[in-house]
Amino acid sequence: MRQRVLTSLMVLTAVLVSTLMVTVPVIGQAGQAPAKAKKAAYTPPKLPWGDPDLQGLWPGTDLIEVPMQRDAKAGERTEVTPEEFAQRQAKAERTAENDKVAYVAKDSKVGINPPGYWLEHGRPQKITSLVVDPPNGRIPDLTDQAKQKAAQAKQAKQGHGPNESPEDQSLYDRCISRGVMGSILPVIYNNGTQIVQGPGYVAIRYEMIHETKIIPLDGSPHPSSNIKSYMGDARGHWEGNTLVIETTNFLGDKNGIGLNGGGTPHSADMVLTEKWTRTAPDMMEYTATINDPKTWVQPWTIRMPLRLNPEFPLYEYACHEGNYAMFNMLKGARADEAAAEAAKAGKK
Amino acid sequence: MRKSLTLFSTAAAAVVCISLTLTPGKAQAPAAPAKAVAKAVAKGPRMPDGRPNLNGVWEYIGTANWDIQDHSPAPGPMWQLGAIGAIPAGQGVVEGNEIPYKPAALEKKKQNKASAPAEDPEAKCYMPGIPRATYMPFPFQIIQSNKDILMAYEYASANRLINMGKPIEAGSDTWMGTSNGHWEGDTLVVDVTGLNGLAWFDRAGNWASDKVHVVERYKRRSNDVMDYEATIDDPSVFTRPWKISLPLYKRAEKNAQILEFKCVEFAEELLYGKYKKQPTK
Repeated sequence: MRQRVLTSLMVLTAVLVSTLMVTVPVIGQAGQAPAKAKKAAYTPPKLPWGDPDLQGLWPGTDLIEVPMQRDAKAGERTEVTPEEFAQRQAKAERTAENDKVAYVAKDSKVGINPPGYWLEHGRPQKITSLVVDPPNGRIPDLTDQAKQKAAQAKQAKQGHGPNESPEDQSLYDRCISRGVMGSILPVIYNNGTQIVQGPGYVAIRYEMIHETKIIPLDGSPHPSSNIKSYMGDARGHWEGNTLVIETTNFLGDKNGIGLNGGGTPHSADMVLTEKWTRTAPDMMEYTATINDPKTWVQPWTIRMPLRLNPEFPLYEYACHEGNYAMFNMLKGARADEAAAEAAKAGKK
Repeated sequence: MRKSLTLFSTAAAAVVCISLTLTPGKAQAPAAPAKAVAKAVAKGPRMPDGRPNLNGVWEYIGTANWDIQDHSPAPGPMWQLGAIGAIPAGQGVVEGNEIPYKPAALEKKKQNKASAPAEDPEAKCYMPGIPRATYMPFPFQIIQSNKDILMAYEYASANRLINMGKPIEAGSDTWMGTSNGHWEGDTLVVDVTGLNGLAWFDRAGNWASDKVHVVERYKRRSNDVMDYEATIDDPSVFTRPWKISLPLYKRAEKNAQILEFKCVEFAEELLYGKYKKQPTK
């Protein structure tokens, strides 16, 4: 009798302990580590197939005027001082005033830039820079290999004019691609970013230059490195309510990680890890970690807090179809050369 | 005996109570059930709201991009490519095989054809517009959400978002047009306006103006075949509306995806070659 009771109690204890062991880790998973608990307080609605709903227009427009790299004087400060913020606000007010100018003043100089009111404008932000890691908010040093490449590229341009062939222009000005980061870093216009989700996929549309990044969520592998592209190959998965995207298979020595894809070109070995977390109904925490040991001596991270703007007009950016500038730059350079030749001949 | 039973049942009750309080609540991401739904939705023909599920990678097989009307095989524009560049025979995809051009418009089609391939916007890597994007020899992917429907075409990274909400008016003209969609039973009907009249229908130079109004119908015939129709209405070019119809096939590879075809680089020589410092030709 006593033996039976004891055995039952032991069985029950075992059941109790194993139940606890099964359920406790689930709690640990669902909430996040205490330090992040504040950020993860908002739970986005779920789509009918169970994925967190990140859909909407998340343009980077607000972040125009936030520098990519932090002023060295700011050190590890991630927010501007009240005085610096006041300066940003004052600048925004001056810009808004300038935008009201409906005509060109008589004494204005001729220029090639569009009038100010064509441009999108940011909202004064408190963050000191888009780069948040390394902690000083500055892009890490280039590797020796990358420095060498840059020097060689500069050398190759010696003795050549600026408009000898289309390849003299950037990939952006050739209307090929700005690359993944170049498609989202805030610039003077067309900062549209839109998320559309289907069962098993997330798609991200970038307004300029009409890119669509399709991210399978089924755990399938990247293709072999024999298939490379400007926008790379993306694969995603959920970590709680955060969409984690890993992109590889990039073409190397093409785009950089700067505005419009400028800056030092990254290598084909770059691994880009992006995280999208909806932190409020109208706020998205976006981070991108650039890991390219061939180009930078350490990985580095950009952070952009994006605001939902359902009214943002995402236009068709038919870049190549309207690239009259390419024809004109080449023709103009040839005309200049012909004129110079004629002048030389005339002098003889 | 009774005592141990009571003890047993109390303890069992305690275990049940404890495990209930420890069980994840509603706010947390559900585990197995959502995955099963996602898998079922991805494979099956219906979205959770009951609508046909058109998600996937689709592609047309046939020669419509060469010529949407019946055509015999013919030499291609470049003898250097031999049979690789030749034009295969094709059965037309135009209902009645007739495109009802007005006389002046037919002349323009002939001029287009004579100027091809150099003047074909496809050769220049310009976005193909609707309906040509549908039957290019490149796949496209449909991402159908619980709201709008995105179509991403591999060719030139062309794409368009079909607005499934309250119809919006086209702003300015674009290459891929402004698309408003709705369901008629199991048929997705897409109304396309705001096309800029600069894309062609095919390599044979068939064309419409910027006044064209295209209405597409997508209806899944089976898991792997979708019937596509596009009614073309442009009174400035044609004497009456006419219709294209063709099947679309689901790409069946396990790893089916659209790849990248940013063809601008391949078209730069064609477009800018003669303006280079070292011109080609």
